[in-house]
Amino acid sequence: MADYRQMWTDLGMDLEKHDLLCEALPDAFAGVFLAQENRPEGMDYFNFVVAEIHGVRPAELVEHQKNGGKVFGTFCVYVPDEVVFAAGGIATGLCGGSQFWVPGGEKVLPANTCPLIKASVGARLDKTCPFFRIADMFIGETTCDGKKKAWEILNQDVPVYVMDLPQMKREKDIAAWEDEIRLFIQKIEAVTGNKITPQALADNIKLINAKRKALIRLYNTRKNTPVPISGKDALLITQIAFYDDPARFAAQTNALCEELEQRIARGEGVFPADAPRIMVTGSPMAIPNWKLHHIVETSGAAVVVEESCTGVRYFENLVDESPSTLEEQVRALAERYMKINCACFTPNTGRIDDILRLVKEYRVDGVIDCSLQFCELYSTEGYLVQQALKEAGIPVMHIETDYSEQDFEQIRTRVEAFLEMLGK
Amino acid sequence: MSQAEIYDYYVLFPNHHEGLRLQKELKAAGIKCTIAPTPREASSFCGISLRITEEDLEPVKQMIERHSIKVDGIARIRRKAAIWNKSC
Repeated sequence: MADYRQMWTDLGMDLEKHDLLCEALPDAFAGVFLAQENRPEGMDYFNFVVAEIHGVRPAELVEHQKNGGKVFGTFCVYVPDEVVFAAGGIATGLCGGSQFWVPGGEKVLPANTCPLIKASVGARLDKTCPFFRIADMFIGETTCDGKKKAWEILNQDVPVYVMDLPQMKREKDIAAWEDEIRLFIQKIEAVTGNKITPQALADNIKLINAKRKALIRLYNTRKNTPVPISGKDALLITQIAFYDDPARFAAQTNALCEELEQRIARGEGVFPADAPRIMVTGSPMAIPNWKLHHIVETSGAAVVVEESCTGVRYFENLVDESPSTLEEQVRALAERYMKINCACFTPNTGRIDDILRLVKEYRVDGVIDCSLQFCELYSTEGYLVQQALKEAGIPVMHIETDYSEQDFEQIRTRVEAFLEMLGK
Repeated sequence: MSQAEIYDYYVLFPNHHEGLRLQKELKAAGIKCTIAPTPREASSFCGISLRITEEDLEPVKQMIERHSIKVDGIARIRRKAAIWNKSC
């Protein structure tokens, strides 16, 4: 077996504690993913990424740093990766989807903070995630109050640069985001020591668009009945998209899509054609949070689409590739990113429109609106989401949960009752 | 046969390059295998292993020999019931 202990030691990790995570992962992954019937062969690449999750990619990032490159850790789909890559840096998602990291976060954060923030802070402070150790700088944003304060605490331990995301979508807000991207370019240039040229930015807009196109193609396969890939596998792929090499990720996802398209042509799926088709909407599900999908898909239904930051919000809408000057490119970036409909905006009617559109596109039978505990923005917006779905005659249920296993069976009971109500 | 009596076989490797080499050869020969995180019972190191079925044990061993693929053995592990991760 590959032995990454020297690299983890060099990164200042707590090896003993980290080993508990390494010990848990294989069984969890086997139980949730490998136990599925008729998985596409193309999932082998993503199995590989998970099996080597704290090895291969971290080693690539360390190598990049040895060659003078910088690594930027990000937490949110509003941070324009294109800018980082255009300066010769690497942007990597910093995942906080495990209960394992929550107690570490609770040492410095109130217990009634959302598990995503607690786990992210805990992963850094407990020294149990190589990605959190490698990043030269973290890029935060102002998408919720919990995060805004967490950045100040993290900044005591590692440099955090915060992008100020507007909270409304008027023209002046798009212009403000344009300004923020300009400041971000200056910051990234200063940290990397590399000037961002229009050509480099154009190349990297294409690179990240290619990743988005691969994900769009993947999600398009899920519009079919029977669905050729499980929601769990699709969620895993989206989670991996945040930190894998973008070009390699797009190539592997496209290869998988070819297999899925052949399945569609043969009428082959991973669930019976009459299985209920479920949309999950709400808070992000960072790796390895597979809890709700696992419950739904071991209760006889298929998750066919996620309206979340670990779903369509991450990749819908491409950046316009036609501009050739930095000024126009920054405008194009601002316009694309401001199309994302996060609950931090008021009003956020675009998200309701998206949900109703996706219900039709993916022929959804029922929607599960799932908020992380203490994620007040998505919990509160849930009222409006459920109201709109009820008016449209779409069955909907709301679930609030965290990463722990304590409510696992209660949620299963509620999901089973919901599926029964769908009457399929 | 009950679930408790099902055994999986995991081919273990000194590094992921050897694992991917074998996976490529097995795929080309039409022998089914799945890349998996190495179970703790098989090794205390992280990383990939290849999960194969008992019927394919001999052809896999032959393939390892034929292509001089470096392996750290083949572990026989009893399959657990599907679980939710408690600490992951």
